Amino acid sequence: MTEIEYVGEHLLPGRIAQFSLLLSFCSSLFAAFTYLAAARSKDLTTKNNYTQWARRGFYIHAVALLTVIATLFYMMFNHMYEYRYVWEHVSDNLDMKYILAAFWEGQEGSLMLWMFWHLILGTVAVRICGKWESGVMGIVCLMQLVMGVMLLGVHIELGDTVIKLGSNPTLLLRDTMTIPIFNNAEYLSLITGNGLNPLLQNAWNTIHPPITFLGFASLTMPFAYAVSGLWSGEHKECMKESLKWSLFSTGILGSGIIMGSAWAYVALSFGGFWAWDPVENASLVPWLLIVAGLHTNYIAINTGRSIRSTYLFYIFALVLIIYSTFLTRSGVLGDTSAHAFTEMGLESQLIAFVLIFLGIGLISYFVNASSIPKKEEEESIYSREFWMFIGALVLLLSSLIISVSTSLPVFNSLVSYFDPNYIGKVIKDPITHYNKYQLWIALFMAILSASALFMRYRAQSAEYLSKSKFGKHMLFATLGGLALVAAYYSGFPQATWPYQLLLFALGFSMVASLDYILNVVKGNLKLGASALSHFGFSVMILGSLISGLNQHHISTNPFVYKEIFDDEDIKKYVSLIKGKPMFMSNYWVQYESDTLQGLTRTYNISFRKDSDSEEADFYVHPNIVYDQKFTKIAALNPSTKMFLTKDIFTDIAALHPSLQDVKFAKEMEDTMKFDKHYLTPGEPLELEEMEIELLGVNKDPKNKDYEHEKNNFGFEAELKVRDKSNDSISILRPALGLQGSLIYSYPIKSQEMEAVFKIDEEFFNQVYTPESQLNYLQFQLKEGESFRYEGLELKLLGFDRNINHKDYTEEDGDIAIAAMVNVSSNESKELLQPVFIVRGNKSFGLKEVSDLHNIHLRFLSLDPQTNVFNFAVAKEPIKSETLPLLLAENVDRTDYLIFQARVFPGINLFWIGSLLMTLGVFLALYQRNKVG
Amino acid sequence: MKQSHVIALIMLIIAAVIFISASNDVSSYATFASAQESGSRVKVVGELVKSKEIVYNPSKNPNYFSFYMKDDEGSVKKVVLKEARPQDFELSESIVVTGVFKDNEFAADEILLKCPSKYNKDEITLRKSG
Repeated sequence: MTEIEYVGEHLLPGRIAQFSLLLSFCSSLFAAFTYLAAARSKDLTTKNNYTQWARRGFYIHAVALLTVIATLFYMMFNHMYEYRYVWEHVSDNLDMKYILAAFWEGQEGSLMLWMFWHLILGTVAVRICGKWESGVMGIVCLMQLVMGVMLLGVHIELGDTVIKLGSNPTLLLRDTMTIPIFNNAEYLSLITGNGLNPLLQNAWNTIHPPITFLGFASLTMPFAYAVSGLWSGEHKECMKESLKWSLFSTGILGSGIIMGSAWAYVALSFGGFWAWDPVENASLVPWLLIVAGLHTNYIAINTGRSIRSTYLFYIFALVLIIYSTFLTRSGVLGDTSAHAFTEMGLESQLIAFVLIFLGIGLISYFVNASSIPKKEEEESIYSREFWMFIGALVLLLSSLIISVSTSLPVFNSLVSYFDPNYIGKVIKDPITHYNKYQLWIALFMAILSASALFMRYRAQSAEYLSKSKFGKHMLFATLGGLALVAAYYSGFPQATWPYQLLLFALGFSMVASLDYILNVVKGNLKLGASALSHFGFSVMILGSLISGLNQHHISTNPFVYKEIFDDEDIKKYVSLIKGKPMFMSNYWVQYESDTLQGLTRTYNISFRKDSDSEEADFYVHPNIVYDQKFTKIAALNPSTKMFLTKDIFTDIAALHPSLQDVKFAKEMEDTMKFDKHYLTPGEPLELEEMEIELLGVNKDPKNKDYEHEKNNFGFEAELKVRDKSNDSISILRPALGLQGSLIYSYPIKSQEMEAVFKIDEEFFNQVYTPESQLNYLQFQLKEGESFRYEGLELKLLGFDRNINHKDYTEEDGDIAIAAMVNVSSNESKELLQPVFIVRGNKSFGLKEVSDLHNIHLRFLSLDPQTNVFNFAVAKEPIKSETLPLLLAENVDRTDYLIFQARVFPGINLFWIGSLLMTLGVFLALYQRNKVG
Repeated sequence: MKQSHVIALIMLIIAAVIFISASNDVSSYATFASAQESGSRVKVVGELVKSKEIVYNPSKNPNYFSFYMKDDEGSVKKVVLKEARPQDFELSESIVVTGVFKDNEFAADEILLKCPSKYNKDEITLRKSG
């Protein structure tokens, strides 16, 4: 085969990206190696020497990786579909505000986002880590190296087996598949990209992934400190440094997770903010571990204990975030997750990724753990560290339970690897399963986190407790707990006893934390950062408890369905007919209108407390997004109305099938059964359901679908239709149009009457006489003369050089004259202006048609010498006035939505609580930085 | 014994109790036959029988959706879901329904579809001419 010279390809950006990718990989290898060498060397000069080289390597790596990212963006911005990654994630009609979302839609892009954050964190670390730089950066660069392999896309052939290392985002589309289109040198002008999945086209997808991946990347830092601390043996100093990074990590990863749940709640139809989906769990577990590590780190700083557990928590936090990547990207979750991540064929590479860092962490720990100082004496149960440590253990227990349950699919595939007959197991009711256990975790956390605030580090006896009025604070908190339980019952139905206990614990914790902030640190939030976080945690759990236990559908209309169906069927969804208000739980809800913009159709739905009021209490705007070809619905987006005390979440579940998919629309059209009726003006047609009267036929269609520019010619019938069921009268205007030689029909559908009205195409021949069938008679006139034709007088009044003929469009050099011919009969007269045109060396005429006198008049030519004008006139044949009407009855109405509305009470507490918790973490970080 | 050891022991016991009790929360996918026998709430995995009727008539009842599913053992039963018809239902490669078998049909309250990726990665979209 000869090499094809493709047209329009831009090969340079690809080469730049390819080269930079390789350079970034090699330089990360160099930097990792030299940094680790620096970390291992005892001699200061050698260490500095290595570090100097390593820094250079890291900066080259950074620049190279940034170049790859920038080049990819450049390709995406410019729709260079010759590159596979661009073709996969961008399309012609993709709004550029989603370019970021498109970039990290793919695995390669999200991996680069993660690596990008490592660059930023690494650059900061080089500046502020001081003597910890070599060890910490060694780990960062190692991370970049291992992740870099996943972008290489190298195929290694070992005998018969091909090992594929990574997936390269800079490849050309035509190098990744063999299909006939690539035989065409101009293939590029023919193709467009796949574009971003419409479900991902929203603002959340621009903000949530970068925060989450910064959270992921930030977990590398505590791990790196743990490992460096173990290597160096300077454990106490290490603890002081690592705390900042783990606080940062807690805050950012926590924000990322919360944003993810906000996205799931607001933009996706998951129906809630937390579903214990494996993907959610996978990032929650490392967060729980880093929080546990954060607390033992505080213990380590304040008492010198718990250094070991801090190291282990930090090591496992990173290992588990890598494990989460394995879970979500390897396809092992199969059908247990709602998140549709595609497989990249990198399972074994991802397993290696997990094992490498698990190995580094554990080996470093077990080799060096003996150098960690041991405290001989027991922790006293009166000390703060004792209870904080218990708290960390509770968090560990929580993450253990979640991890094991989430890993069930991994367990299944492991066992079936050895035993092919093994039938995999699944959790029957995931949400109940997780809630059942995590409820107790939350309860213990609430009590521990609040009461430990009032205890002191290193306390050996109970003596201080009475002095600091510990009992009084606890009594106060207990009253708070009881008050919350009481308050809950004033507003919501009774909950089961474990939930009552949890409510008590949350009230206890909220009051105790506030008490601490107000009375112990006297409102100084910087000193009370931990109390603020603990308070936020309790508020957050309270919000999820209230909204989780009390969310309910309001989109039920028992009155409508009761007679037809059993009670069991009355649930969740209602069909909302356009323009017809429906009563549901105190609201009159009405589907008012819809508007189409681009590929999105937005619905306007009103909620009214009082059915008569003009202005609705509020509106919701759920929408649907069609796919690129406009043939199917690609996404249904919910809409949430937020109030202070509750949210009303609304969602369209379905439309009439014909509106969901053109396939069904076609099917519906094909199966419509039309009956033909002949209508004459003044003689109404009586049918069982309706009465139809033809008011007239005109040539100026006002039918809203009829486009005057497209049609050469058109007719419209004006029908007066009376619906017998409710005696309402409507005027309907079905139309026919001629485009070239094709007849187009513009039927009218009445949703109310469930009928379609259409003019039979045969009517066209009845009204429209082709030129060839007209019998023209030629005649000559001079100005002022007249001609008699079939009882009409045609008089030439003169001529006009201003042409107003509807079919005339002026061109340069035209010589055009309109003849002014007065046509009169005994009863009527009118002015016709046929046109004669000389254009270049051609001449032609534009005829005038008179509906009044039923004639066609042509201006054939003129003789400038004699001033004689040549005309031709023809009589329009007499036409039958009957209209052949096609009528289909019992056609499904399509103007409705399958709609659900749910109330989530108290959900704002969840958001406020998580905000306060995060705020507390960052305040603690600020405070920690000042302490130094 | 140190206090911390006592605590650790208690934790271990709690963890063990939790895992033993949680083993009741898991089960293998049931088949229609075993679901019929046990009468309890189970998950059944299978595929849509496209040749049999799929009923969803939202203008009459938006909360009734029924179809026929073939389970892993090849037995075909009617499944009734008291909810709206899920998007892209017919494209599903496999279906997991959760519910109870009664009156010779499977009354599902949850459905999970495994769909092929929305975009066939090896299908090229041609630009519309003009």
